[in-house]
Amino acid sequence: MEESNWEPKVIGFLCHWCSYAGADLSGSARLEYPHNIRIIRIPCSGRVDPMFILRALQNGVDGVLVSGCHPGDCHYQSGNFHARRKFAVINRLLKYVGIEPERVQFSWVAASEGPKMAQVIGEFVEGVRKVGPNRLFKDEKKDGE
Amino acid sequence: MENRLKEEAGKLLKEGKVDYIVGYGKGTVNLRTSPLITNKEEDLEGLVINPFIANNLSRYPVELKGRVGIVVKGCDSRSLTSLMQDKKVKREDLIIFGVPCEGVVDLKKLAGQIGAEIDRVTDAEKEGENLTLQVDGSKKTIPFRDVIFDKCYGCEHPTPLEYDMLLGSEVAPNLDIEKSLERIKELEGMDAQERWNYWKEQFSKCIRCYGCRNVCPACFCERCFVDVNMPQWVATYATWQDNLTFQLIRTLHVAGRCSDCGECERACPVGIPLRSLQRKMVEEVKDLFGHEVGIDKDAPPVFSHYEATDPDEFMK
Repeated sequence: MEESNWEPKVIGFLCHWCSYAGADLSGSARLEYPHNIRIIRIPCSGRVDPMFILRALQNGVDGVLVSGCHPGDCHYQSGNFHARRKFAVINRLLKYVGIEPERVQFSWVAASEGPKMAQVIGEFVEGVRKVGPNRLFKDEKKDGE
Repeated sequence: MENRLKEEAGKLLKEGKVDYIVGYGKGTVNLRTSPLITNKEEDLEGLVINPFIANNLSRYPVELKGRVGIVVKGCDSRSLTSLMQDKKVKREDLIIFGVPCEGVVDLKKLAGQIGAEIDRVTDAEKEGENLTLQVDGSKKTIPFRDVIFDKCYGCEHPTPLEYDMLLGSEVAPNLDIEKSLERIKELEGMDAQERWNYWKEQFSKCIRCYGCRNVCPACFCERCFVDVNMPQWVATYATWQDNLTFQLIRTLHVAGRCSDCGECERACPVGIPLRSLQRKMVEEVKDLFGHEVGIDKDAPPVFSHYEATDPDEFMK
């Protein structure tokens, strides 16, 4: 794709009980957020396996957003607390191996926070736009495929 | 030390207190040692303890059915404790022989130091701070600390923390943290793109032999995610992309369990510096959750519990 008309494509893993509903709310409130995000609904942020994030990046998306309930609000009591520990190390490891920190983001967004969801998505997409297309897993030879 | 081990291990087998003894025996190549796993008393003559006992034996009790008498160094004992936390082995099924360890010789480093293949060394003896070798019939002396594994410079617990019988007297840590973290610091000094290219180059060498996984005491899944085909997370053949993804996920799976025993790197046939990933995560887990691997056998595994106050400044 030409650099000039490149649009970031990002994936959002949103928790069914909060962030997904938050995104829904921002829609019904007629708030605008970038259409660059493809949302995948998950039962809990604790469901996110680091494999999801890496496979998404390997398959060429430009960014991955993971969003769940605020600490203490988990529908399953502690899913997001466990997730937070995982995310902390995933975050550090990805940075360490050289994946731009803008590409992977973790957020807490509640079901009532429609405007926040729109804002989070907006800021995330802008961040990804700044770092440019994801060429991390591309082979030089096969580039442009 | 060796004789005491043979004697005590023999007693354990004779009295039926253990079903197996897991220790070190002579390897097929001079200097090298290999695991010796036996239930026969006559095999115990082959047990050795010397500065070349590199293997981490702690994963064998997971697979052996029954009670096991096992020989461990400081790092191995922490792996074993970590396996107890994960309920993969029971403390009461083990009789642990602790070996206070002043460092293990890295045969690759040794070969570099003497400028000859290891099989030309016929005899090696640790004498004080030096290692005395017989190379091609002539005597050679080199400083011991020049040829030990990098991990040993950062070893805070050279004496096993968990044991029933300590063979020898306790060893105080002889730390040179900087030297043990040299490569990690070097990587951290690079920018993101350089780092990514570095790993890309390293993992282009990977032949996906799974040696790192098979040797790792923290890799105890009965079915590894790379062997799962519904869904198939990573390709079964070697491409650098999948090799890197495989190793990153493995790194995350063993984070909080890895005691930095360095077996993955030692087992790697193509020389990928895997410890630079694993050791980094040891540091991160300590920094984030204050968790040190293999210290307290009754503590829960780091990722199966949480604190309400866990750091989350990275969450936006």
